[in-house]
Amino acid sequence: MLRFDSVYKRFPDGTEALRNISLHVPKGQFCVVLGPSGAGKSTLLRMLNGLSQPTEGSVYLAGELISEQSVQRLRRKVATVHQQFNLTPRMSVALNVLSGALPQVTHLRAGLCLFPSSLREKACHLLDEVGLTPEHVSRRVSELSGGQQQRVGIARAFMMDPAVLLADEPVASLDPRISRGILELLHRQSRNHDTTVLCSLHQPELAREFGDRIIAVNHGRLVFDGTPEQLTDKVCEELYHGALNREHGMSETAPSASESELELAAA
Amino acid sequence: MNTMKNLSVNRDATWHLDQPYNARHLLIAIFFFVLLAVTGSRMEVPRMLQETAQGLGYAVGLYEESSVATGVKRIAESIWPLRISEEIEVSRIENFDRNNLPWLSHLEIIESRTPHLNTETLKLEDTVESKEMLVKPVGYLAHVLFKMMETLEMALWGTILAVLLSIPLACFAAANYAPNRFIYNLARSTISLFRAIPELVSALFLVLAFGFGPIAGFLALGIHSAGFLGKFYAEDIENADRGPQEALQSIGAGKIKTLWYGVLPQVLPQYIAYTLYILDRNIRMATVIGIVGAGGIGLELKGRFDMFNFDHVGTILVIIFLTVIILDQFSARLRSRLM
Repeated sequence: MLRFDSVYKRFPDGTEALRNISLHVPKGQFCVVLGPSGAGKSTLLRMLNGLSQPTEGSVYLAGELISEQSVQRLRRKVATVHQQFNLTPRMSVALNVLSGALPQVTHLRAGLCLFPSSLREKACHLLDEVGLTPEHVSRRVSELSGGQQQRVGIARAFMMDPAVLLADEPVASLDPRISRGILELLHRQSRNHDTTVLCSLHQPELAREFGDRIIAVNHGRLVFDGTPEQLTDKVCEELYHGALNREHGMSETAPSASESELELAAA
Repeated sequence: MNTMKNLSVNRDATWHLDQPYNARHLLIAIFFFVLLAVTGSRMEVPRMLQETAQGLGYAVGLYEESSVATGVKRIAESIWPLRISEEIEVSRIENFDRNNLPWLSHLEIIESRTPHLNTETLKLEDTVESKEMLVKPVGYLAHVLFKMMETLEMALWGTILAVLLSIPLACFAAANYAPNRFIYNLARSTISLFRAIPELVSALFLVLAFGFGPIAGFLALGIHSAGFLGKFYAEDIENADRGPQEALQSIGAGKIKTLWYGVLPQVLPQYIAYTLYILDRNIRMATVIGIVGAGGIGLELKGRFDMFNFDHVGTILVIIFLTVIILDQFSARLRSRLM
């Protein structure tokens, strides 16, 4: 379903975000991407919806090369769940979910907010699946809690029946109890809709619990690829603490809140 | 004890504190003094001060005469009492129907005596001339209010035009939505050009094109305020939170739909506040723009002023003043509710 062929990504300032990544994700797999902040997880995910282009190498989605010409068409098969939810704040829950199907509606209908009834029914169905109630529909998303906002984000992501779902640290701004709920939901939804998922996470224990397969990136390289059982504590230790030490040495970025959370979780 | 050591003053270092002013500040002060002296004498500021003082002195009885005070007094006397009624000579009204008078009006016969010299008797004689007049007790006030209404409508349509012009301009003038560099620069410079032309100047030319009346007025207002709104709108589009826009872009929604669903809901309250401010400003501008012939109350003001009908001018000024006060209150309340 997803294929990376020796992908490199260099930014104009000279940093190498991805180095020689080759990866194949089969259809329907829930693949978790682990790695410390700045390791290249987001860049890896952004290659798939065309928000970032590889400097070298090629990325294939359902057998098609992602290029300038194909990206607009291929984007319709890819949905994204974001760390900061990225919902439009003052808009209602209903319109936020419906906006997930915008590429399918004409400009006239979109401009007048007249979505076809099939899409409206689908939105209701999805909102029900993600565990929201009818009374949430007309509320502004900015009035909802973080967990509820992410549920709206997941409902929006499934509006176009995506073949691939990218979840970019979907639970990094949520507390641990809600995180588990959100990941359970993501897992269940992707099973029901037969969606291939690439989900970046910070918590190895959540990765073990929900991933069919776990990969880890560090300094732009693929450093681990295996089943949840193969991701032992020793591997985690090496991945994060080795990385942290090196990062301190390079004095690049201070470890973010989510990393210190992770240390606590590992302890 | 370690902290104490860190806090103790290092005796070896040479400390010195500068005066807060130095030669440069003195130079700047001299420059501003010269600037004020030169421009002040060109603006006749001393004469202004002297004559104002004289006028105030006259008001409290310290001075015998003052040109400013007599000027003000003459204006006040000619403005007061304000013109409320309207009188029209019946013989001048075409198709006058005596049995069907306009609402709230009555007929009056006014006799006017004009003294003139009888050439035979060499005595002054009064000739009595009687005219039948149609008197409307609040006729002129109603006329001014009607003109004020037209002014408000001009401001409203000026604002509508400004919004319609500035929305597409703003989309092209926002760096992240402009299709290319050329169109971006074109939109930016159009907005600057609109803002650079004062309404009174563009109205002068538009009156030549469209003739006297409100068309020239609201076009001039719309073009000028589109310059402001375009800039404000474009900046808000650029500063809007990128997250929702990225989310919609990543599913391939396209620029127009992204603007509609990812940007507009975020910036709408700001847009409404800007538009209200522009409406407020356009109403104030619309009252004067008529002076160059572009309709509304300003046209009436200019006509009456040129005919030295200062009592009419007085009524107009009072109505403008009251309208602006009421609108200020109204828009302040509306904006505070929206924010």
